[in-house]
Amino acid sequence: MAYILGIPLVILLAIFQSTLLGTFQFLEGRPDLVLLAVIGWGLAGGSEEAMVWGLVGGVALDMLSGVPIGTTSIILILIAMLVSLYEDRIWEANFLTPLGITLVGSLIFHIMSLGVIILMGREIDWSYMFSRVILPSTFINLLLAIPSAQVFKVLRNRLYPPEVEI
Amino acid sequence: MRRLPPRVIIVSVLLIIALGLLILNLSGFLQPVQDLVARPIISVQTWFALRFSALRDVLTSPRDMATLRGEVNRLEAENALLQQEIISLREQAAEADVLAALLNYARSQPQSRYLATNVIGRDVSPFIRSILIGGGSDAGISKGMPVVTSRGLVGRVVEVFATYSRVQLITDPENAVNVKFQESRTEGVLTAQLNGELVVDLIDLNAELSQGELVLTSGLGGKYPADIPVGRILSIHHRDYDLFQQATIQSSVEFDQLDIVLVITNFRPLIFEQPNP
Repeated sequence: MAYILGIPLVILLAIFQSTLLGTFQFLEGRPDLVLLAVIGWGLAGGSEEAMVWGLVGGVALDMLSGVPIGTTSIILILIAMLVSLYEDRIWEANFLTPLGITLVGSLIFHIMSLGVIILMGREIDWSYMFSRVILPSTFINLLLAIPSAQVFKVLRNRLYPPEVEI
Repeated sequence: MRRLPPRVIIVSVLLIIALGLLILNLSGFLQPVQDLVARPIISVQTWFALRFSALRDVLTSPRDMATLRGEVNRLEAENALLQQEIISLREQAAEADVLAALLNYARSQPQSRYLATNVIGRDVSPFIRSILIGGGSDAGISKGMPVVTSRGLVGRVVEVFATYSRVQLITDPENAVNVKFQESRTEGVLTAQLNGELVVDLIDLNAELSQGELVLTSGLGGKYPADIPVGRILSIHHRDYDLFQQATIQSSVEFDQLDIVLVITNFRPLIFEQPNP
């Protein structure tokens, strides 16, 4: 069920990211909806499905971008793996965990994406990219981290109701 | 032997798939599959882009102003076309003596053919300045075709798929445009800085530029046709000890507001092979 729902969802989120959010920017930063979905679903306890979401979402993002197909998938799968280390451990106890993981995940996502851009032979001004793109994007992702984690937690509880001992 | 945890196996399999896709993509074998997969995605994206564009127009203008806004848009478009006509006439007048013979040749050539297409999205990578347009090889678009609006140069097509194409904007640092200044008749090369600022470099130190002077494509290098407006001079950087002077340009196109663009379909760019390092 998580795949039937999740795969079209991440493709739609990639389309939203390209169509709707292209014009909504803070400096040059934009929210990374697919990344938030992968982190949110991973934190809600579906890290293995989140890895597949990362693969599909990454391909969708790369199709709507100038970077080679597969690169964003690799980054998102690695982030989903990172999230899986925290799955079901701290989240229940600490409300702020999504913030910490989104902070780390966003930074890894953008730094690795920038690494791909450099490998493609493009010139990069690191300080400009940090101040105008990476940090603003991370900030927007942080604003959306808790609501998105809540949404995916509710969704997962609906799809897979927790077992109750009587 | 210890068995690997299932999560590690899943990650490994997915990473191998992603790496396989990357290799296939880099070797060019993925294009037919990409064309096929992109069709439904681009249909959905076009649907969203058109509705979002209409919604944005409604939200950004008061309801009773909608008719007036439409009229203003029409007049603005007409004005832009007239401006372009004036620019073209000025160009012809300035170059009439030198280019009389060439002008006759130019007149005998067919007019530029344009294909109007919607902007369906922006590059999802914030590090690349490009847009996606809703026309691809099915519509006759091919790599290298220049893209303009009634206001001026937007960029050129760098990737073509069956149903969509990617246009590299002139604000992308990877793009370089040979330009000329309308009044001073000098030439230079326009490149975007990493912060998106447009700068014309390699301008003759003796050239007398003026603020607000119009910048047009020169046609040199065969990448773009000549005489497409690019922008106006915002500031001039002239230092006597430099070999060349530079000028910062204000683009005539608002890249954040692009809804529809025109692809010049009958222009065949000259493609030079990259020299091997």
